[in-house]
Amino acid sequence: MTSNIKTDVFTRMVKLSPRFLLALLLLPIFAGLISVLLPAFGWAPELEQTSIGLHGFYALWQTPGLSQMVTLSVSTGLISTLLAFIITLMILAAFFNSPWLNRIQRLLSPILVIPHAAAAIAVGFLIAPSGMISRLLSPWLTGWELAPNGLFPHDPYGISIILGLTLKELPFLLLMALGVLAQPELGKKLRQQHKVALNLGYCPMTAFFKVILPSLYPLLRLPILAVLAYASASVEMPLILGPNTPPTLAVAIMHWFSDVDLNLRIKASAGALLQLTLTGGLLALWLGGEKAVKVLFSGLMTNGQRRYGSAFWQTITLVLTTLVIAFILLSLIGLVMWSVAGFWRFPAVMPDQFVLSHFQNALMQMSEPLFNTLAIGIITTVFATIITLLCLESEQLTAKPMSRFTSLVIYIPLLVPSIAFLFGLVWMQQLVHNQTSFFNVVFTHLLFVLPYVFLSLSSSYRRLDPRFAHVAASLGASPAKVFLQIKLPQLFSPILIAIALGLAISFGQYLPTLLAGGGRISTITTEAVTLANGASRRTSAVYAIMQMVLPLIGFILAWLLPKYFFKSAHR
Amino acid sequence: MQSSLQIKDLQLFRQSEQLLNLNELVNGGDVLTIMGPSGSGKSSLLNWLTGTLPSVFSASGEVWLNGQNIGDLPANSRHIGVLYQDALLFSHLSVAGNILFAMPKGNKKQRLEKVDQALEQVGLKDMGDRHPDSLSGGQQARVALLRMLLSEPKAILLDEPFSKLDTQLRVDTRKLVFDLIREHKLPAIMVTHDHSDAEAAQGKIITLHSQEHLQSDSQELLTREVHVR
Repeated sequence: MTSNIKTDVFTRMVKLSPRFLLALLLLPIFAGLISVLLPAFGWAPELEQTSIGLHGFYALWQTPGLSQMVTLSVSTGLISTLLAFIITLMILAAFFNSPWLNRIQRLLSPILVIPHAAAAIAVGFLIAPSGMISRLLSPWLTGWELAPNGLFPHDPYGISIILGLTLKELPFLLLMALGVLAQPELGKKLRQQHKVALNLGYCPMTAFFKVILPSLYPLLRLPILAVLAYASASVEMPLILGPNTPPTLAVAIMHWFSDVDLNLRIKASAGALLQLTLTGGLLALWLGGEKAVKVLFSGLMTNGQRRYGSAFWQTITLVLTTLVIAFILLSLIGLVMWSVAGFWRFPAVMPDQFVLSHFQNALMQMSEPLFNTLAIGIITTVFATIITLLCLESEQLTAKPMSRFTSLVIYIPLLVPSIAFLFGLVWMQQLVHNQTSFFNVVFTHLLFVLPYVFLSLSSSYRRLDPRFAHVAASLGASPAKVFLQIKLPQLFSPILIAIALGLAISFGQYLPTLLAGGGRISTITTEAVTLANGASRRTSAVYAIMQMVLPLIGFILAWLLPKYFFKSAHR
Repeated sequence: MQSSLQIKDLQLFRQSEQLLNLNELVNGGDVLTIMGPSGSGKSSLLNWLTGTLPSVFSASGEVWLNGQNIGDLPANSRHIGVLYQDALLFSHLSVAGNILFAMPKGNKKQRLEKVDQALEQVGLKDMGDRHPDSLSGGQQARVALLRMLLSEPKAILLDEPFSKLDTQLRVDTRKLVFDLIREHKLPAIMVTHDHSDAEAAQGKIITLHSQEHLQSDSQELLTREVHVR
């Protein structure tokens, strides 16, 4: 009897989980958007403003430099996404079916776990007037004996932001594409079709663009849109690498919201709506561009031309790939050197002496942020993993794939700029008089962790051979037992990877931590961003390294543990 | 000049283990059939001929096509057409698009006319605008054949091209393929493990033995049964 009741509870819980997931993702975002929408049109009872009107937008319109902010946001977002996308395609095309593709993948995949803030700090060190590039070129090429007054970072054109975003998003897009090509059936089919095109006389790069890309692109669309949405509205990168006068729109909105003058919140809300429109416009522009490219190039697909200056493009790709990898490596090396540098005069490539005191000092002050980072990350990720597993199990128990609507909703936190709904959400949380800022931070992190955990787990869960569950069920095992004792052990490794990814995402959150915590909850990431524009480059380097090390430990554990536990479940 | 495909002193290895050695001349219009169980090196032979041999294999020897040594050319410059057991039609292109993709550059109108003619010749009249996935298996096989032939190859390789077709379809498709090979006077090599395929090809048949068999059997490096009809 008891087992029957238990089964019931489990099955009911599992079947309810997709609805719970929907509510968990949709309610906060809609609540957030509405509480931005209302103040934007002047309705903010807390500020004793209840006249519906457009004065928020007038105030926004009057802001000096607004058009520069908009231009900066749009151009950095679009250009960095385009660059990352195009270089990804060129690398794929030039190295398709070559062992180099795997090597590049192995070299770039650790970049995925680096939070944006840490990446921005590293890139800033690379291009600063006294950064690695300038040191390597001085004085023999530049003639600089002293660090010059450079343009970078913080250049008014946003070139630093573009560089930072491109270097960070390129590995993401490349790994997403390689993930698609690693799908057993599709990957095999595409490789064979590539071979057919080679047999028909197509040079490898042309074959990629004419045969592989049309099948690959639809599966890359969502990650690309997520990158575009992020790049157009992110806060960390422009905060660390961007100009101040004026900053990007997202950064400006953040300043207005956190201003002591609460009346600026009306303007900030209007700004958030503008940001939403900009990002939406960019996404629409991208989708339109997609259609245009398709129409423009449809004739070229079948015109029979087999090569387009392939040696030239091959060389360009090689140069670009080398540059990208060199930039990434140099920024990381620079970061590590700053963290242990004693005295380091300008054109010297290496510091005069290496010291550990920056680490010792920083680590002593780090205990609270470190505890917060870990606690928030672990609670959020465990929760996200459990919900994800239940949702995926419900798919199998009901033998129905998840509705298109639900699958789309999972992506919403990745497509809606967080700056546009987070303030609303935080306002809402304050309205409920929720003083527990720790809980608010966890809840907000969940919005961003859930999608990644879900995306990471779903493919392996769906690929699980259903016959194991059938066999177990026929031996009398309840659904709960099958789930806990058959499926979970078999999925041990993918679950750990998903957890490591969830932790990495949570560790890297800046804006959600800052806002939901009301500035009272400090994590390694919030500290790193604060320090990035502050006095000590060395302390900042230590924090950026901590930001990289934490997620890396997670991934190393996820890679090591399956070698010792549930080994039999592995092939 | 009669076209020909010649394999000179080919020795094919998987790591250090020898898979096969071969010395053959195939004249235009003839089909050389290679038979043997999986693992005997059939597919590696085709990969070597097309220039896509995976790096775990190594080979020595030369391949001459119409009097030219093509052994050092990359896959895309060899002008060798291959027909696989799957049609491998490009699903982002229509039936006609698949064939146009393969044809050499040229006048757009003439190319389109040629596609229509070719489709009609194999009983697929007016199917040019269809999506390849909407075609039956046999129809897809014929489109793949046209795609390969209209790319104007100088030699043809057949990698178990009929193994996924059911009996009657197999007989018809096979006849069409061999007829067209003869009509175009192209040298062809077919690998298969189906005896009816081998007989229908009406050419020389080489049987490879699996490696386990070889090693336990004798010191002889390669046992061959050769039938010439």
